[in-house]
Amino acid sequence: MNVKQQIDLIIQEVKQQICSVSSMNELSEMKAKYLGKNSPFGQLMSQMKSIPNEEKPAFGQTVNEGKNIIAELFDQTKTSLEQKAIDEKLMNETVDVTLPGVNFSVGSKHILSKTIEEIEDLFIGMGYSVKEGPEIESDLYNFEMLNLPKGHPARDMQDTFYITEETLLRTHTSPVQVRTMLETGGNKPIKIICPGKVYRRDDDDLTHSHQFTQIEALVVDKDVTIADLKGTLLVLAQKMFGQERNIRLRPSYFPFTEPSVEVDVSCGQCGGKGCSMCKQTGWIEILGAGMVNNAVLEAAGYDSKVYQGFALGMGIERIAILKYKIDDIRAFYTNDLRFNRQFK
Amino acid sequence: MLFSLKWLKELVEIPCSTNELVSKFNLMSSEVEGYSKMVEASNLVVGHVLTCIDHPQSDHLHICEVDVAKEVLQIICGAPNVAKGQKVIVALEGAVLPGDFKIKKSTIRGVESRGMICSLDELGIDHKYHQEDGIHVLPSDAVIGDNPLKLLNYDDEIIELSLTPNRGDLMSMMGIAYDVSAMLNTSLHLSECKVKEIAVLNPVKVSSETNLCKSYYARVIQGVKITESPYWLKARLIAAGIRPINNVVDITNYVMLETGQPLHAFDYDKLQSNEIVVRKAKKDETIVTLDGKTRILLEEDIVITNGLYPVALAGVMGGESTQIDNSTERILLESAVFYGLTIRKTSKRLDLRSESSSRFERGLDPNRTLLACNRAAELFNTLASGNVLSQVSYFESQSLVPLKVDLSLDKLISVTGYRYSNELVASVLQRLQFDYTQNDNSFTVHVPTRRFDVKTYQDLIEEIVRIAGYELIPTTLHSSSIPGLLTTVQKQRRIIRDTLVSLGLNETITYSLTSELEAPLFDFEGHSSIKLSYPIVENRGTMRHSQIPAMLEVLSYNIARKNTNVQLFEIGKGYTANGENELVSGLLTGIYNDSKWQGISQKADFFLVKGLLESLFKSLNINNVIYSPMAKHTDLLHPGLSAQIWVEGNLLGWIGKLHPSLLAQKGLPDVYGFELNFNVLVNSSSPTVKMREIPKYPSVTRDLAIVIDAKITAQDLMNTIKKAGKKTLIDVDIFDVYQGVNIESGKKSIALSLVFQDYTKTLSTEEVDQLVSRILKAVSQELDGQLRS
Repeated sequence: MNVKQQIDLIIQEVKQQICSVSSMNELSEMKAKYLGKNSPFGQLMSQMKSIPNEEKPAFGQTVNEGKNIIAELFDQTKTSLEQKAIDEKLMNETVDVTLPGVNFSVGSKHILSKTIEEIEDLFIGMGYSVKEGPEIESDLYNFEMLNLPKGHPARDMQDTFYITEETLLRTHTSPVQVRTMLETGGNKPIKIICPGKVYRRDDDDLTHSHQFTQIEALVVDKDVTIADLKGTLLVLAQKMFGQERNIRLRPSYFPFTEPSVEVDVSCGQCGGKGCSMCKQTGWIEILGAGMVNNAVLEAAGYDSKVYQGFALGMGIERIAILKYKIDDIRAFYTNDLRFNRQFK
Repeated sequence: MLFSLKWLKELVEIPCSTNELVSKFNLMSSEVEGYSKMVEASNLVVGHVLTCIDHPQSDHLHICEVDVAKEVLQIICGAPNVAKGQKVIVALEGAVLPGDFKIKKSTIRGVESRGMICSLDELGIDHKYHQEDGIHVLPSDAVIGDNPLKLLNYDDEIIELSLTPNRGDLMSMMGIAYDVSAMLNTSLHLSECKVKEIAVLNPVKVSSETNLCKSYYARVIQGVKITESPYWLKARLIAAGIRPINNVVDITNYVMLETGQPLHAFDYDKLQSNEIVVRKAKKDETIVTLDGKTRILLEEDIVITNGLYPVALAGVMGGESTQIDNSTERILLESAVFYGLTIRKTSKRLDLRSESSSRFERGLDPNRTLLACNRAAELFNTLASGNVLSQVSYFESQSLVPLKVDLSLDKLISVTGYRYSNELVASVLQRLQFDYTQNDNSFTVHVPTRRFDVKTYQDLIEEIVRIAGYELIPTTLHSSSIPGLLTTVQKQRRIIRDTLVSLGLNETITYSLTSELEAPLFDFEGHSSIKLSYPIVENRGTMRHSQIPAMLEVLSYNIARKNTNVQLFEIGKGYTANGENELVSGLLTGIYNDSKWQGISQKADFFLVKGLLESLFKSLNINNVIYSPMAKHTDLLHPGLSAQIWVEGNLLGWIGKLHPSLLAQKGLPDVYGFELNFNVLVNSSSPTVKMREIPKYPSVTRDLAIVIDAKITAQDLMNTIKKAGKKTLIDVDIFDVYQGVNIESGKKSIALSLVFQDYTKTLSTEEVDQLVSRILKAVSQELDGQLRS
């Protein structure tokens, strides 16, 4: 048997045995046995002396190659044993992944705030600014400057909480429009929305609340038209209630606008065919609007021969009631968390 | 405004269904509040009571044999007034009366009954309109088998318009007819008025001493016979919601409905003069009105006098002394226009608002004052056998000519955004029966006096747009170069709201009005309250100073519904004599956050709430927040667990546990809260970010434990350390507070982690040592604190 054959035999032997190795200790022992001092390779190397000089390099190379093959086998087995150990360890760490995670509180935005922010963002996108003003107002800004002199029959439309004869809780956010027009000095265009709390002398019931929330919009410029108002209302209705909705305008009356309109949105439940929700009309009233009355423009310092504008005003509760099918306006102010927490 | 559709159809051609008419009203004129049949009943006939005997088994029922033309029915009737020979209203078997009341054959106490003899109540006519007890007895000439609803003129539909204050013109049948004629483009059939006068001269002199009376027309009618009004007239009044009384009063009301002009009839024999003088009331003058009440008048009221004393409160109510009664023979008829605002004030003050006063308030057509006077005179003649004396006595100061309003087509187009043609504008004006002259693209419109609401070109634009139809107008968006933005303050408000929501708090919105007692609570500055002059209910009569009381109510409400873990915040205003003050408030109770199976449970307590605020301050970039004890102890906050919060020398608000006795009184568990001044919060916030370079050199951390007097606050210790550490000390963090074994009593140990950083170089150990000893020196000198050994 020559050297090559002997080495192949050793490799065969190692390959057979290494398959059954299951621990690092066994592997070390086996490694010592085949690659250590008293290994078969040691014995082979001791034969070196008796080999003619010219054969020595080939002999040495053959032995080293055999050793390398075996060392490689040991390395492979070591890596796989290590991997196995890690796998076992990890399997022992297995948890029930279906148990609940650590709880983090999530709060909720009030539905009125949420709706206001939604409408604000829509109008900001169309170039409007948001204006605010005091809730305790003068009769002058709340009524007189809006073409509602003292004793005007239309004052009956807004029953008022008075504090003194001249101060009151604002009945709409329109005084903010008056203040803004006065601020701009009558010679600049205006594009604003005015959100805020308003108050009416109503008894609280399913559909009435002595306090509620309004957003009004005012656009004043040289070329503002009813068509612009109609377009804005359509965008608003579709954004708040869905792209498939339509709107229509009906004549109405507000002292601060002329013409004045009530705005209906097509009923979402029946799509306009008529159902119990829309009282068989196919339409639901959502807000009032109109072209700013010249008397209001003039009172606020705008030349009505040059400037014209539109205004619209909506009750946020009404919008939310229609959007989320809420049946009692008082729910907005009770703050039952089972209600509030539904709106994030 | 309620009205009879049958009446309207007499005045204007209506070639469409009621549904279509209603839809046209809604889209072009005035909103329809509702519409219905006047009487919702079927299978009714006129019957003739042939016999009527008492029911043997009853003390009040009658057994009647009733001829209903096709047959004779046996009907049991319980009405006390039923009698043999009467013509009555019979509901046959199968009839359905209002309230879904079905008439079936039945046996009543052993006797068969096939139908029902009806009262007007049973037809759904409100009792106030007829005040009849028992069945309604028809006139003897009623034809057996006919439809009694036709006879009674109840075969009608009632429409109710929800009128806006400007459309006073629609408070008359004539006005409605004009608008319907424009809406439907159909013709009007208004009748002409013909008064038959006798050759006796009206002796009355009319004058006015006040400009609050715009016009006054008076006629005298004699030989009047007071009776009931005919069915048709009564039915039209009932349809309009007016109670029929007698022919004279009914005629005045009927003509008011027809023309819009309120009328008043005096008993001329009781007037005791031939003179009508209108004037302002004298101070403390009194009049006994028709309802028997003595009214004390003010100088702002208008009275009608007989030259000596008031006989009527103008436009509001007649006087008792000249009231029409069953023996009235001579009538003085008044058709006048009074200043609306005065009538409104007087009627509001005396709580006497009526059909008349509401018409004066909204305005009248000056051209109908005389017309109404004559129309009523005509009816007194035909329906009350009256003889009308010749001539009308009057006083007139109003302009009776149409108002001219100019409108150009350009203006119409520039306001509406729709390209109307001259032809369309002209056709709308024709439909409205507005005379006009046209000059190229300009219209001069002669607005009839009946449309006193149309005064400006804007009003005319509305008329054209509504009659031509709003659907013509396209939808566009106004383009402008103004950018739309939230202001910094508005953005900060949203950051505050979003941060508090993300920290697990639920936003509330509560009422601004509360009781006088609750209103000033949690206002530690003690401002005075703002009160309503006439609240609806006392517990909503005063403006709140703080949001906490209302939020506490919300918290109680939720706890009572088994929700014991409540985390609330609100952004809203407090209102005091000092002004409106926006607040950010919070209330927490119970478990703030838990994961039960992992044993994690965080209860709401002082430091949890403080931590929430610190997170809020971080999100707003607010530094240098200082806490100090409350300025004074109150029964609202726990004295040891509450603090004022300051930033940059301004009082930001407070944080604390609510006072245990307050909580006990309300039956509540521990509640923690805060209330911050929104403006101070936002003004202290620095929304603009200045980027700072990330340090290139490592930082050094040193831990120290310092023993100081237990009364010295952590805040004081930190401030001393920060001052001494200067800007190299970039962070100080407390990681332990200890009192007890190994620490002298009355002292405490605070362990801190100090982080040092130099942006220009790596700090050497010697440099850090120097800084630490400087800090320890300052702590020793200023606070008598020592390094814990």
